[in-house]
Amino acid sequence: MSGDPLDLGLRAQAAAIAAGELDPAELLAAALARIEQRNPALNAVVETFPERSREMLAAAPAGPLHGVPIVIKDEWPLPWRAQRFGAAELSAPTAPGESGPYRALRDAGAVIVGVGNMHELGAGSTGNVSVYGAARNPWDTERCPGGSSSGPAASVAGRLVAGAIGADGLGSVRFPAAYCGLTGLKPTFGRAAMAGHHMAPVTNMIVSGPLCADAGDCRLLGSALFGEELAAGEAAGLRIGVVRDPVSEDVAPEVREACEGAIEALRGQTGGEVREISLPDLETAAVAGILIINSESMSGTRPGQLNALHPDLSPIARGTLKYRMLLPAAATVQATRVRTMMRRRLADLFDQIDAIAWPTIPAPAPPLEAPLVELPSGTVTADQANVRGAALANLTGIPSISVPVGLSGEGLPLALQLQAAWGRDELLLDAAEALERANGRRWVEALPPLAQSSPAEA
Amino acid sequence: MEGATQAEQFIPAGLAALGIEADEVDLAVIGAVHQLLWPPIVELLAFDTAGLEPERCPDLSKAPR
Repeated sequence: MSGDPLDLGLRAQAAAIAAGELDPAELLAAALARIEQRNPALNAVVETFPERSREMLAAAPAGPLHGVPIVIKDEWPLPWRAQRFGAAELSAPTAPGESGPYRALRDAGAVIVGVGNMHELGAGSTGNVSVYGAARNPWDTERCPGGSSSGPAASVAGRLVAGAIGADGLGSVRFPAAYCGLTGLKPTFGRAAMAGHHMAPVTNMIVSGPLCADAGDCRLLGSALFGEELAAGEAAGLRIGVVRDPVSEDVAPEVREACEGAIEALRGQTGGEVREISLPDLETAAVAGILIINSESMSGTRPGQLNALHPDLSPIARGTLKYRMLLPAAATVQATRVRTMMRRRLADLFDQIDAIAWPTIPAPAPPLEAPLVELPSGTVTADQANVRGAALANLTGIPSISVPVGLSGEGLPLALQLQAAWGRDELLLDAAEALERANGRRWVEALPPLAQSSPAEA
Repeated sequence: MEGATQAEQFIPAGLAALGIEADEVDLAVIGAVHQLLWPPIVELLAFDTAGLEPERCPDLSKAPR
């Protein structure tokens, strides 16, 4: 076939292999070669295992992802590798094993080609802190790729692979998708494979999710993770809810402009309508989400363990882990009450609308060295700014998707987030595809400078 | 200032009560996190949910019953 197959999307790679036009062994070799070429600039992939990948390919069934290389976040065990969670140490025991996402990929015929970098302990929206060193954004390697699924996003945006598996406990698929110009799905809680995650038995927040260039590819990879086909439909007559709240208003002007334009384009494409809705107490919901996931993360940790932390754990992680032990239990219980309140409000709202839309990130990717963002209300850390719009989906269990909707004046991706009722993940994919059609697929096909082939690679 | 004083007491006392050791760097990080997180936690605790019927064993994959 003509052209570099690594520059194809996930669906196109899978279709070319199925049609006999692309040799999956050659594709795997090409992916490994491209990781060698481009990864030094990105630090997106922290480990490859060519022999294991070749063995996986040799045993791959004729599934929907047969022979397609995939990167998986350092958050799940593989049969030959324990997860490190981007950290020198986890308080939970880990060991190699068959995680749910591994089985889902294997059974779909995919080939795991590498492990993706991630923000240390999953505790950041920027991806600039990791035991492996910061991952870098292909749109500007001095910028944050987003976290905590930093490596999976940078891998796809840098066209090392066409699909990657991330995890989202408080926006960790959606932030890196947004910063890297990708589509990222945070599934309804419980729908996507999670077995083997060290927090799976205790979390009500974390889900696995796909990161790909576009919604169609997320549908294909998501179908594998869900263990069921995410059928395509039409988002006809989409009723879009928008809020007058800092999540949509205390954002950089270019973010606001791009998102408002995208919402209007989506309305026009679907023949739908935009309604202003009331969804108060979003900041309270964000705090509730932070408290719950921080409490979940300390499950089984004894105070004495915190006196013998690995010396290579970052100072931020060391201090944060110790602080989590001081969080008042009454506040976490109160957080669960806020969760109930927000779930009921959303259930009522989703009787009237199909999707809620607001920006995924309030400002484009900040510098790696100082992840601060400037908002109309002032300068704050990217983590503080980002969590406001992301926590609701994790707190309540609803699905959410981030879709690219433009580039900033500095050439950095901007993104819109859509949220729907429980179990309506397919509708979000339909809506994202409608938006792609509305803007001529301009933003899902935009390539970062680093992913534009150099003559040496051609 | 008052908040800083409260943190100076709360953090070392809380850590000591749990037998958790902390060096200067730990304390600086903890202080910074506390400064960011504690005010919203206090607001959360003061948030009125008195009339709310709790959701027993919520299934987050579905709408509330």
